[in-house]
Amino acid sequence: MATMIQFLMFSVYGMGWNTIGGYGGQVDLGKAQYVGIGAYTTAVMMIRWDIPFWMSLPVGMGLAVCWSFIIGYPLFRLRGHYFAIATIATSLILKDLFESWSFIGGARGLKIPVKGEMPNFLYLQFRQDYYYYYIILVFFFIGLLYMNWFRQGRLGYQLRSIKDNEEVARSLGIDAHWAKIKAYAIATAFVAAVGSFHACYNFNIEPEDTMSLDLSVLIALMAMLGGAGSLWGPIIGAAVLVPMKNYLGAWFGAKAGLAGLDLIIYSGIIMLIAAFEPRGIWGMISRIREKRARGN
Amino acid sequence: MDLLSAQGLGMSFGGLLANHDISFEIIPGEMVGLIGPNGAGKSTLFNCLAGLYKPTAGRILFQGKDVTGFKPYEMARLGMARTFQVYVATGDLNILENVMVGSFLRTRSKAKARSKAESLLEKMNLRDMAKERVANLPVAAQKRVVMATALATDPILLLLDEVAAGLNPKEIDDMIGLVRWVHADLHVTVILIEHVMELVMKLSHRVLVLDSGQLIAEGEPSDIVLQPGVIKAYLGERYGTQSSSRNSQGA
Repeated sequence: MATMIQFLMFSVYGMGWNTIGGYGGQVDLGKAQYVGIGAYTTAVMMIRWDIPFWMSLPVGMGLAVCWSFIIGYPLFRLRGHYFAIATIATSLILKDLFESWSFIGGARGLKIPVKGEMPNFLYLQFRQDYYYYYIILVFFFIGLLYMNWFRQGRLGYQLRSIKDNEEVARSLGIDAHWAKIKAYAIATAFVAAVGSFHACYNFNIEPEDTMSLDLSVLIALMAMLGGAGSLWGPIIGAAVLVPMKNYLGAWFGAKAGLAGLDLIIYSGIIMLIAAFEPRGIWGMISRIREKRARGN
Repeated sequence: MDLLSAQGLGMSFGGLLANHDISFEIIPGEMVGLIGPNGAGKSTLFNCLAGLYKPTAGRILFQGKDVTGFKPYEMARLGMARTFQVYVATGDLNILENVMVGSFLRTRSKAKARSKAESLLEKMNLRDMAKERVANLPVAAQKRVVMATALATDPILLLLDEVAAGLNPKEIDDMIGLVRWVHADLHVTVILIEHVMELVMKLSHRVLVLDSGQLIAEGEPSDIVLQPGVIKAYLGERYGTQSSSRNSQGA
């Protein structure tokens, strides 16, 4: 059950990443900062002012989107690798800030106290995992429907055109810079929403687990493995990597001195994707389907 | 009023003067050829006009409005479309989707964008290939896709960059017909960069000749080919033979 919940969470993270990273072709390695903003908004509002999850959720998404505009404006002046590195930097800077900010618990993080009787739907506090499962499942389907609409809308087409050739896109009347900022804001809203959910699901949050570079890389990796720029890509990626992550983590964690080995395996996967199938697993599937269609 | 007017336009990259003191006017409804040897600065001039480069000197007026230093998407919104010589299509957009990207400039509705794109593809004989990817097409069809995409933005002025390069004689004839259709039926003013002289001579009302970044001649196609300076600078053998075939340095 825990694995299923994680799978759904990462699927939605990946869908968010996919708007800007997949359709827009801008490799973003800083998604964790928005997980952090979402999670901390919900946690702080719940602990300090007793505000329920459903009210802090839009606030967290709103704050994250504001932040994405602030940093998106300069970030999208950069291209390619420079953009990717800059997203890492902003994410790590924000993490450092959170770690030294005592109002939100600093490096030790925050612990959300139990509010009243469980199950508590207002504050999203449950003893059993299946409640969480159904709630994140709803998020997942909303995300999927939205993505399906997004990719067929005006912005979806414009982003794909930018990814194809930015110069051509711009002379077709697309304000590429603004289109990327918009897509980035949408990505951010997805990620922050799941971040808020993460705070309630874990009760315990700290900068290290909500805002680390590992998390950012994992989000990007899942989407790329499954297939960047396709509707099902992030979901396939999460379905493969989440169980693998849990398994490897348990296995290597037990053996002293092997704790970092899973990261080496991830980087190996990145290299394999880059070398053989940039469109990921979904790319392979669609290639096979195209071949079949031609064969008939 | 002139549709487009360039006044003392200059573009330098570091020390290299790609365009120097270029001035000309385009009247609405004209079809103008822009020729010159490789490296003469033709594409640079297009890039300045379309906003991809910010000219380092001079002014550009479009419909009487000073548009010097405007962004490419602003120029597209004002009604200037530019096609590119090399169309790098690596991505996952098929032909229909490509053309739709153009039509999305004037509408938010997917249905409208789609029907406009479909009617353009119909006109360009691309209907059967709508689901193909651009990279899988023969060159002639690729050139038509590029034109269809630019036309989908409803331009007033279309800058065509080598639409006939790499085409065989039959395809060049088709392209001439297509450009004529764009000009006459869609009422689009056209400036075309072209190395295929046949196309330039048949289509242009007027020809501008660039050499080493400067405008060295301007006039009707039949007059231009007789000017010694032009022949010396560039013209292909077929049109240069009458006067001095040995002088042509060709591209």
